[in-house]
Parts: sequence; C-alpha cells; structure tokens
Amino acid sequence: MSPFHFSFYTAFTLSSLGLAFHRTHFISALLCLESMMLSMFIPLSLWPIENLTPSFTLVPILMLAFSACEAGTGLAMLVASTRTHGSDHLHTLNLLQC
Amino acid sequence: MNPHAKLIISLSLITGTTITISSNHWIMAWTGLEINTLAIIPLISKSHHPRAIEASIKYFLTQSAASALILFSSMINAWSTGQWDITQLNNPVSCLMMTMAIAIKLGLAPFHFWFPEVLQGSSLTTALLLSTLMKLPPTILLLLTSQSLNPSLLTLLAISSAVLGGWMGLNQTQTRKILAFSSISHLGWMIVIIIYNPKLTLLTFIIYTTLTSAVFLSLNQSKILKLSTMLISWTKTPMLNATLMLTLLSLAGLPPLTGFMPKWLIIQELTKQEMTPTATIITLLSLLGLFFYLRLAYHSTITLPPNTSNHMKLWYTNKTPNTSTAILTTLSTLLLPLSPLIITMT
Amino acid sequence: MTYFVIFLGVSFILGALAVASNPSPYYGVVGLVLASVVGCGWLMSLGVSFISLALFMIYLGGMLVVFVYSVSLAADPYPEAWGDWGVMGYGLGLVLVVVLGVVWGEAIDFWEVGVVTVDGGGVSLVRLDFSGVAVLYSYGVGLFLVAGWGLLLVLFVVLELVRGLSRGAIRAV
Repeated sequence: MSPFHFSFYTAFTLSSLGLAFHRTHFISALLCLESMMLSMFIPLSLWPIENLTPSFTLVPILMLAFSACEAGTGLAMLVASTRTHGSDHLHTLNLLQC
Repeated sequence: MNPHAKLIISLSLITGTTITISSNHWIMAWTGLEINTLAIIPLISKSHHPRAIEASIKYFLTQSAASALILFSSMINAWSTGQWDITQLNNPVSCLMMTMAIAIKLGLAPFHFWFPEVLQGSSLTTALLLSTLMKLPPTILLLLTSQSLNPSLLTLLAISSAVLGGWMGLNQTQTRKILAFSSISHLGWMIVIIIYNPKLTLLTFIIYTTLTSAVFLSLNQSKILKLSTMLISWTKTPMLNATLMLTLLSLAGLPPLTGFMPKWLIIQELTKQEMTPTATIITLLSLLGLFFYLRLAYHSTITLPPNTSNHMKLWYTNKTPNTSTAILTTLSTLLLPLSPLIITMT
Repeated sequence: MTYFVIFLGVSFILGALAVASNPSPYYGVVGLVLASVVGCGWLMSLGVSFISLALFMIYLGGMLVVFVYSVSLAADPYPEAWGDWGVMGYGLGLVLVVVLGVVWGEAIDFWEVGVVTVDGGGVSLVRLDFSGVAVLYSYGVGLFLVAGWGLLLVLFVVLELVRGLSRGAIRAV
C-alpha cells in the first residue's frame, strides 16, 4: 500500500469511525457521511488515471450527484427533526427504544 | 401524501430494486441501493409524528453508512484486482467489509438494532415494505457474491441472528417489533444456507415474503398494533382472525403449513453438508420464535377477554378484507403439498 | 512534487480527523472544507483538472449551505473546538486506532511513492478526464438519466419531509 492509498483509506476509516461513535449533533453525523463520500471521491477519480480507462471518469460525477442527494435528504430530515423534537441533538431520538 | 410524490416514490422503489438486482457493476448496484433508500424515507415519515421522523433518521443514517461501506469495499477490490464485476469479489478485506455492510443493510444480528425501532416508528404497510421489498436488493447482492464470502463468518452471523431474533422477541408486546424480530431470525435461516445452496436462500426469501405479507396485511385490516388490540380484534373480523392464527403458525414453521417447507429443506441441506450441529442449533433456536408466534396466535383466536360492549360483533361494519390478503393467506397455509414443483421451479 | 502530493494526502487525513473528532458543527465544517480543498489540490496536481473543478464548485457551494444550516439550527451556546478536552480525547483515540492499525497490519510501504499522472498514457489531444466526462452525454446517457432521476426524486423527498408549513412554522406533532 503506497502512501496515497494509505491517506484515502485512513480518511475513510476515520470518518466512518467518527460516524459510528457518539455524535452530539445530527448535522455532525451528516458531516461525517459527507467526509466518507469525499474520501471515496478522490480514489474513484484517481482509478481511471491509474488504469487508463477514460470512460470510468464519469463515475465520480455520478457519485457526487448521489452524495448531493443524500446531503439534501439529510438536511431535510434535520429540518423535520428540529420541528418535531425541538433540536437536532441525537440523544433526543429515544422514543423507539426497546 | 401528495399523489405526484407518491407516483414518483413508488416508481423509484421499483426502479431502484430493478437496477440493483439486474446490475453486474458495483456502481450501478450502489446507485440502485441509494435510490431505494431515498425513496422509502418519505414513506416512513409519512405521518410526521416525532416517532416517524426518528425512525426515518435512524433508517437514513444506517442505510447510507452501509451503502457507503459497500461502495468503499468494492473500490478496494477494484484497486487491488482491477475488477468492478459483482461476482468477482476476490480481495479478502473487501469481502469482510462487504459482508458487514450487507449485514447492516439487512439487519443481521450484530447490526440489527436499527430494524425493530424503524419498524416500530412506521405504519404497518411501510413496515411490510421495509421487511420484504427493501431486503431484496441486499439479499441478491449477497447471493451474487456468495462464492467468495467467508463460510464460518456467515454461519456465525446466521446463528446470532436466530438467537437474538428469537430471544429479544420474547419480551415484546408490540406486533411490529415482534414481526421485526421474526424477520431477523428468518434472515438467519436464509444466511445459514447461502454458501451451500443459494437457490434455497431465494426460495426461503420468497416464502418468507408471502407469509409476512399475509400477516402484515391481516394486521393492517383490523389495525392491530399491540397485543391488547389483538385481544379484541375478533369482534371486527372473526374469520380473518382464524386465518391469522394459521398464518402465524405457518410463519413459525409448523409442519402442515407452507412455512415448514424452507425449514425442512434447509435442515436437509445442512445435514447433507455434514453440518449437523449447526442444523441442530438453528432448529432449537426456532423454538424461541415458536413461543412468541404461539402467543400471538393465542391472543388472536383462543382468548375471550372482557369486552366493552355486550354484543359479540361490533355494530359498525368494517371494510371487507381485500383480495390480496385472501390470496396471500391461502398461499401461506396451503402451499406445502406443492413443494416439489416449487423446488424445481427455483 | 511527489512530496507535495504526500503533504496534501496528510492534510486530507487531518481534515477527515477534524471532522471525525466530534467538534461543534461550525468547526466540523471547517475540517470538511479543508479536506475538500486539499483533495482538489491533490487531483489537480495529478492533472485531473475537470473533476477537481467540479468538486471545488459543488463541494464548496454545498458546504456554504451546510454552514448556514448548522449556524441556524445547531447553535451551541459554548461551541467546542479542538482545544476542548472531549474533542481532543476523541481525536487522540482515533489517531491511536490508525497508528495501531498501521503497526499491526504492517501494510504501508513508504518507499512506493511513484505517482501516475493524467499523462501516463502519453500526451493526447483531449485530456483523459475531459473525454471521460463527455461520455456522459453519449454512451453513458443511461447513467446521466439515472442521476437526473435521483435528483428529481430528492426534490419530492425533501418536499414531503419538510411539508407542514400550513400547521405553523414550528410543528408540535
């Protein structure tokens, strides 16, 4: 594994660990998701360069579009949870626990 | 819900599922999963109740993290082997991560905590969609990659799902949570056989879909959300309650009913593969499930609790059960004699 | 140049760490902006100019929106930056996990630093990523339509999620 692979694998691992552990704010979890997507975007756009397949270059664009979709839905749910729960703190989401 | 939005959302559910199950490139599979996740969210939060919003947030976070993991593990595979083909998952690290990600998506046992809560927060019809249609694409991905996955890891996941699905369902009084745990333990049965006979997994999935659709639609008919409502539901639709008992026993897997078929075949296949301990353990664990199914069946038909009215039948007329409930109930009780035909078809 | 790219990679990790260590959302956005700017520089230094441009425009534009959201909805009375003990504890824990992974896995080879740029296949008339993205309008039109369908779907999803203005701006139930 070269240092370049190391840096994006580590960035993905760090942000997914950050999502898995305790987050105070919902928007902070959304930022972690975005960071996961960003650290996948870089290697996805370097892959066609390394393998000389130009037609694969459209995949990062597709991925960016869908991560924008996820971010939009996440922000809409942020608004919805602020309306119903009064804040976006993740520890207020405790109505459904077993 | 706005009819235009409903049209777009139901079309997207169909499109997303179709894209995922018909793709052979990881990117398209991921795209279909994303479309599916985005499309089900407004259906979960349809009532705009705080519980519904909470369920949709939990669903969104787990599912999008799981699909990011799927894309990342396929990307690791592509960097090391140069392949984006779904069936060519050769890198061991990406196999491990892919198993984890699909387990999160399906709600298999160590990653199952989101599933009962999301089901509890959504309506019965959305819960039906969540436990059948939304589980089809991850199951298909698991089927396609099943050659390269780790057998002992999958067996471990399966047995822990059967344990936790049976055990945590014992203490529940909410029907949606009980059905969620039943779904988890059925997933255990599906996963235990996936390496040895993937067709049986598909067969189990189809039979499970039929049975659980019958149960969910019957419950939705008389709006049974908890056991105490179930006790007085015989005043609304007595006949449907009698068939509901049969459907629940079929879901438990008792012999003359349809639900026995997948269990029978899986036990037979496991013994053929000389995995008798696994077969014994998972069969014994299904007894835990049998307990709460029996309790549901008992509450639905056999008890006559003190009722608020003096009449045996409620004076207002319910709407009659629809055709799909009738068909699904029939299928879920009477299909066992046809099992040779079904086995040759799948 | 190689060392500059390695520097960018390290800064990328630091950006992800800044997001992951659970600071207040304002500062988390700063970490994400750092990571995206550094990622753009990384792609740019390897010659992937068009995708880097798209990332810069879309990501930083999007981050501006997220920043405004976080200020308006997630306002903390005492925002926690990385100097705070809790945040620093998270950050150090995550760094420890990464260091343990590197030491235990022995996976990283620091001497394998060769860089493949966009001109690795020889100089051509159109750069590799330009021609690749242009495929989105010809052979890749299916993907284009799928992405467009996804964005349309999100429009309806967002509308359904945030509906309820008729019942007042703050909806009790």
